[in-house]
Amino acid sequence: MIVVLLIVHGLLAVALLGAITHQALSVAALAPSANGRWNFFHRFRGVDATAYTTPIVVLFAVTSLGGALLYPQYRIDVRPALEDTQNVAANGVFEIKEHLAAIGVGLLPAYWLFWRRPHTAETAAPRRYLTWLLTFFVWWSFIAGHVLNNIRGLLP
Amino acid sequence: MKDSRLTIFSIAFGVLYLVAFYYDLALFRYYPEVSEFHWLRRDDLGAVILWYGWIATAGLASAAIAYAVPRSMAERLWPGWAWIIPTASVVAMLIYERRWFV
Repeated sequence: MIVVLLIVHGLLAVALLGAITHQALSVAALAPSANGRWNFFHRFRGVDATAYTTPIVVLFAVTSLGGALLYPQYRIDVRPALEDTQNVAANGVFEIKEHLAAIGVGLLPAYWLFWRRPHTAETAAPRRYLTWLLTFFVWWSFIAGHVLNNIRGLLP
Repeated sequence: MKDSRLTIFSIAFGVLYLVAFYYDLALFRYYPEVSEFHWLRRDDLGAVILWYGWIATAGLASAAIAYAVPRSMAERLWPGWAWIIPTASVVAMLIYERRWFV
C-alpha cells in the first residue's frame, strides 16, 4: 500500500512540476529570439497560464496530503537509517522540503486569489513572484524526494 | 481588493508556521510507531512527528487573524506584502536550516 501511495505521490508531483513550470515561465519576460521565430522556451511559455491555476492548487494540495500520509513511514524507517549513517545533510534536505510544503500550502489562497483577479499592473508582481516561489518549492521538493527515495543507490 | 482576507491568511501562515516550528508550538503530536495523536509530549511512545501540529497551529492562528482583521484594513493592504513576507519567511527558514550542512 505504501509503495502504491509513493508512486501516486510521485506521479502527481510530475504533473504539478510540469504545470507550474509552464506557468512560471509564462510570467517571465523573455527576449524575442534573434530571428523573430519562437524557440522552445517561447513555445513552452506560450500557454494560457491562468488555466493552470486551479489544477496547480489542487495538485499542490493533494500531493502535499500524499506526502503527509507517507511521512510516518519516513519517520520510522528512513530517518533513523540516515541518522545511523551520519547522513545529516540528507535529513536537512528533507526538513527543508517539509517546511516548503507547509508554507506552500499556506500560500495557495493568495496565489489563487492573485491569478483570479483581473490582470492589472498592481497584481502582476504578486502573481509572478508567488508563482516563482511555489515553483521553487515544487522543484526543491521533487528533487529532494527523489534523491531521498533513491539514496541507498546513490551513496557508496 | 475583495477576498483580501485570503492574502492575510497566506501572509500570516508562513510567519506563524516558522514561529510554531522554532518555538515548538505544535497543536498536537503524532507518534507513528503506535499510531497515536497526543496533545502533550509523551517520551515513552517513540519517534514523534511535530509537522502536522505545526501546520495545525499556523492554520488556526492564521485563520483567526484573517477573520479578525477588519475588511477595510485588509482591502488597503499593499499587494506586494503577499510575496515579500512569505519570501522573507522562506529565507529565514533556509538560514536557520543551514545547521544541517555545516
